[in-house]
Amino acid sequence: MQKDFIRFAAFAAALGASATFGLTGAALADSIKIGINVPQTGFAAADGKSALIGAQLAAEQANANGGINGKTIELVIYDDQASPKSAVPIATKLIEQDEVKIAISGSYSGATRAAAGVFQGAGIPYISAFAVHPEITRSGDYVFRTSFVGEVQGRAGAKLIGESLGKTKVTLITLKNDFGKSLANGFKDAAEKFGIEVVSEYEYSIKDRQFGPIVAKVKSDAPEAIYASGYFFTAGPLVSQLRAGGIEVPVIGQEGYDSQKFIEIAGPASEGVIITTSLDRDSDSPEAKSFIAAFEEKAGYKADMVAASGHTAMKVAVAALRKAGGDDPKAIRDAIAGLSVEASTGTISFNGLGEVRKDVQVQVVKDGNWHRHSIISDPELLAPPEK
Amino acid sequence: MLAFELLLQGLVQGSIYALIAVGLTLVYGLLRILHVAHAGLFTLGGYIGVLVTNATGSLALALLIAMPAMGLFGIAIYRTCYQPLLGRPPYVALIASIGLFIMMEELFRLIFGPYGLSYVAPPLQDPVGILGVNLKQAELAAMVGAVVLIGGLAFLAGRTRIGTASRATVTDPKMAEAFGVNIARIRDINFFVGSALAASAGVIVALLNNLVEPTMGSVPSYKALAIIVLGGLGDLRGTLIAALALGVIESFGTIYLGSFLDRDAIAFAFLIAVLMIRPQGLFGKA
Repeated sequence: MQKDFIRFAAFAAALGASATFGLTGAALADSIKIGINVPQTGFAAADGKSALIGAQLAAEQANANGGINGKTIELVIYDDQASPKSAVPIATKLIEQDEVKIAISGSYSGATRAAAGVFQGAGIPYISAFAVHPEITRSGDYVFRTSFVGEVQGRAGAKLIGESLGKTKVTLITLKNDFGKSLANGFKDAAEKFGIEVVSEYEYSIKDRQFGPIVAKVKSDAPEAIYASGYFFTAGPLVSQLRAGGIEVPVIGQEGYDSQKFIEIAGPASEGVIITTSLDRDSDSPEAKSFIAAFEEKAGYKADMVAASGHTAMKVAVAALRKAGGDDPKAIRDAIAGLSVEASTGTISFNGLGEVRKDVQVQVVKDGNWHRHSIISDPELLAPPEK
Repeated sequence: MLAFELLLQGLVQGSIYALIAVGLTLVYGLLRILHVAHAGLFTLGGYIGVLVTNATGSLALALLIAMPAMGLFGIAIYRTCYQPLLGRPPYVALIASIGLFIMMEELFRLIFGPYGLSYVAPPLQDPVGILGVNLKQAELAAMVGAVVLIGGLAFLAGRTRIGTASRATVTDPKMAEAFGVNIARIRDINFFVGSALAASAGVIVALLNNLVEPTMGSVPSYKALAIIVLGGLGDLRGTLIAALALGVIESFGTIYLGSFLDRDAIAFAFLIAVLMIRPQGLFGKA
């Protein structure tokens, strides 16, 4: 018995050693490091998991496709728990210790905003995959974002409700964080333009799952549509409780809902819920199609917006590294600024502030899956901030 | 009408708070320990409820398994975590409890995944009309469950030998022991009952939200502390009333104060207001 154990231990050690040597050998010879901070524990771990798998998928695909001019991509991954106070030391570690020349955030706004300042200070390009806070790209010219700022998506929501759905009396149910607040601000900015009157607004905290009082009040407000910001873990219970409370008017959400898990939680109540997001499940684009299939195979569950955003951000990083040709951060930054990349979330290019320019995908829940509702293509309305 | 609906919603929420806080107050009354990890048992109860219901289709069976299983788990926590620390100052046990709670949350995430679990076919979702207001069956079940379980507990505490022994132990452990009360057994029973009630709350909350997450216990972990302080630490009746009152105040507060005061902040604003007037809590003896 003991002999077996020793043999097993020796085998395991040998295996471990060869794996380690294999890695460091490769790392020394011909690999390029890309840093990524992503929540792997804590409340945002679910989104972090999707974002990371999306990013890993893009790196694997690039490696299978010749890597970066012959060099293999090596991801350096740190868990930031979506917390600003973890993100700062992680950013420093990525820059000082791991000496990455480009990094990606697969995290929420708080952590991303904190890390962005560190990367900007060090002159290392940093790409935010799906964090929405407007201040992130204002850290400086080395910071980019592949997703919409909240305000842009809020304006798209107003157009969707006022123009496409033709509803004018709207109740806002707003998640009380930077994500929900910026969506609500964008929505209210554009509301008048689309003839929308905001009849009431309620706020909830990210920890809330019980919306009974809000449901009761919304019922008495009798709006024609509800614009509710949130993530799948708040929106799932919210939508199911709205429907159980007898409220039948359309519920419009955004990319925070964008997960199969939302449909699982809300069940039949999710049918007909419409969201503005970045991933079109019924897309004809080969990029989106191949991503959706490859992600489901790798992850074992259906692709969501966060996964597509992680994939997109990594794809942008890879394209920039290929274009820059070397590991000079300045050249990599300039490469990102001038890119136009076909990705699962659309054709990605950046404005002077490092904000993405792309269309808004509108998806609706039909028969227990996300499907295309429409696409909002309005460069003027969707113009990201320039400074 | 709106006021009545808000009142009902507040009572639903208050019933859940009560089911969680009762266990905490039992433990505090007996051992003077703030048992933060109690909220971990609430979460695990929810997970077991969803897993058993999804596997068997029976919510009743889920409750029958989750409640005693968490009861035994509660005893195990007492024996392995708190008993060795009984001679130390109370904050030692509190720190152990917080550590245990964080560990449990991360274990749930590792075992059950970060996305949380949902009922495949959630039971008790149909509406029931009460005086013109629609409630989900599950919401009604939360209220009825709290009344039956806590009422039953109060009856047992008042009318049975074990209940008398338990109350005697709370009042004066040494004297109770001198009169032949088996204190170790009383402590086991308290942990068992309190943890089983938390499990029932976990199953009910899972029904209301159709979601059990690793961090589901984080808000109840501290809000239940506020409730037992309000109720006059260790007082069963006070805890019940404080829980219901807080539920109702939060319900109205969410609508009328929500724009500047967070729902979770309301509990603590209420707590501060009460403690300024009655430092011993709403029902505590001075």
